[in-house]
Amino acid sequence: MKSGINTEVAFTYMVGRRKQTIVAALGVTFGISMFIFLNSLITGTNEYTEKTMLSATPHIRLYNDNRISDHVMLDRYMGNKTINLISNPQLVPDDNKIINPDVVLQQLQKRKEIISMSKQVSTNIIYSNSNVEENGNIFGVNILEQDKMFDITSSMITGDVRSLINKPNGIIIGVGLAERLNLKKGDNITVTSTTASRTLEVTGIFKTTIKTVDNTKTYCNIPVVQQLLQKDRSYITDIYINIKNYYNAPATAESIQQETGYTVETWQSSNEQSLAGKKIRDVIANSVVITILIVAGFGIYNILNMVIYEKIKEIAILKAVGFQGRHVISIFVLQALFIGIIGSILGMIVGWGISYSVSKMYIGLGNVTYLPIAFEPRHYIQGAVFGVITSFLAGYIPAIRASKVDPVQIIRG
Amino acid sequence: MSIALKAENINKFFLVPDKFQALSDVSFEINKGEFVSITGKSGSGKSTLLYVLSTMDTDYTGTLMLNDQKITGNKQNSLAAFRNQHLGFVFQFHYLLPDFSCLKNVMIPAMRLGKLKQDEIEYNAHEKLKMLGVGEQALKPASKISGGQQQRVAIARALINEPAILMGDEPTGNLDSKNTAVVFEIFQQLAREHNKTIITVTHDNDFAEKSDRIIEMRDGKIIGLA
Repeated sequence: MKSGINTEVAFTYMVGRRKQTIVAALGVTFGISMFIFLNSLITGTNEYTEKTMLSATPHIRLYNDNRISDHVMLDRYMGNKTINLISNPQLVPDDNKIINPDVVLQQLQKRKEIISMSKQVSTNIIYSNSNVEENGNIFGVNILEQDKMFDITSSMITGDVRSLINKPNGIIIGVGLAERLNLKKGDNITVTSTTASRTLEVTGIFKTTIKTVDNTKTYCNIPVVQQLLQKDRSYITDIYINIKNYYNAPATAESIQQETGYTVETWQSSNEQSLAGKKIRDVIANSVVITILIVAGFGIYNILNMVIYEKIKEIAILKAVGFQGRHVISIFVLQALFIGIIGSILGMIVGWGISYSVSKMYIGLGNVTYLPIAFEPRHYIQGAVFGVITSFLAGYIPAIRASKVDPVQIIRG
Repeated sequence: MSIALKAENINKFFLVPDKFQALSDVSFEINKGEFVSITGKSGSGKSTLLYVLSTMDTDYTGTLMLNDQKITGNKQNSLAAFRNQHLGFVFQFHYLLPDFSCLKNVMIPAMRLGKLKQDEIEYNAHEKLKMLGVGEQALKPASKISGGQQQRVAIARALINEPAILMGDEPTGNLDSKNTAVVFEIFQQLAREHNKTIITVTHDNDFAEKSDRIIEMRDGKIIGLA
């Protein structure tokens, strides 16, 4: 084995300096464990906020927005001979409905990336029970479609989502609203829009732990809202769309917008603040982690530099008896890699330990009970890879110096 | 008799601190199996010459042939490989690696060469140490034995790859007269019985007198090829 001797020399040097080796490895351990912990925490938080966002927001929302008046019609009328400008253009009020929603749905059905769709009609509403009133939004939905999309079933504390199918006058309300209006399953609730008023029967209560949702949002059958708005049976304001990979939402949204001509909004654009928060968290975590890794790298660099300084005569002798530059490099790079690998393995264990104990930390604020921590093998592998790469670089630089030792100069003194 | 070493018109300059000609037009030949001493006062250029001959110093003009191979102009890496296989070195200080046992020190060049299996190398290393009378010390750390023993271990290391040429830079310079005699005996035996070519730089006139041939140097020139 030709490289065996390099490994043997590397090991002997390291064992001869056990303490420094351990300190250097602990530097890597610390760096890697922090890398893993911070990444787990950040990913956990991101996943948690994303989950929260997506429990109320569809991946893609298709609706008919009011349009600002433009000169397209004017151009068509006047021809190309004149340049037509509209000074002080205004928004053109529209019915805001999706024309022929079933055709649109059929059209969208052909797209393979779409996993579920739900059409809705929603409006602002005043809920009342006897004399107490609360504001909120009522959503007329096909409850099965909606349940498939947002998994309402899992948040139900009383009743069943299917109850809406059998009861045309049913309504599912949030736990906050139920408390404020003192409602139980089977009670009646009056909903009043700007144009009409109806009395509905509470068939279920959900609890999402998001306060604004629990206090204001309710689900009922589509015709109920259509009647409240005094619109026809084809009146649909929104189509909610969920796709396979929700990170692809912007691209899919754009192509849907081009195909249908309606305004399309992605969950990313309706949650920009949260996503900005995610970016900021990523930057903070990465800068901390990189700093730690660099410091650990300097530790290895320092120790190897010292070893090389001390062993310079021995390096010269090794070169005199036939070691080539690359052999000398491999001796010291092997030491660095060994330190890096030991440090990384320990780092993965310690990182898991820290993540695990922190994930048991009780927070209890709002809907956050315990710190959200993600346990993903990806972070552990990345951490180890980074640790080994840092060690390699930290060892490679002094090793190059060692390989350039001129044996004549050293041996002659 | 075939030629082990041939040097032609070797010139070497030191540029720092001032330009200084360390070797001027050095030419000579050494036959296989010869035991040659290079002598001269300090600053005569004898060590400089040895390091040129050893292939470690490549900063010279002229031509150097070792074992009928042209050495001049080869790259550092191929020179290292050449040294590993064909040259053995003994220095004034033993330069053993103190972290390793004597046995390991002897084995290292052979493990670098990688021609034999580990157990064969180990056997050979034991044999060399026994031949040099330090077989008992094999497993001790290199830093824990006496100076004379260290030098013998260093000779064993120089011989492990069965090089044709053994070079010494004041190999007895740091030894008492008893150990000097031992090292001389070993060198002579290697030349006579094993047909090794031995080239040593030495201050020690008695040592030089007893060798086959003396190359005497002064001011970078050879003044006697006795």
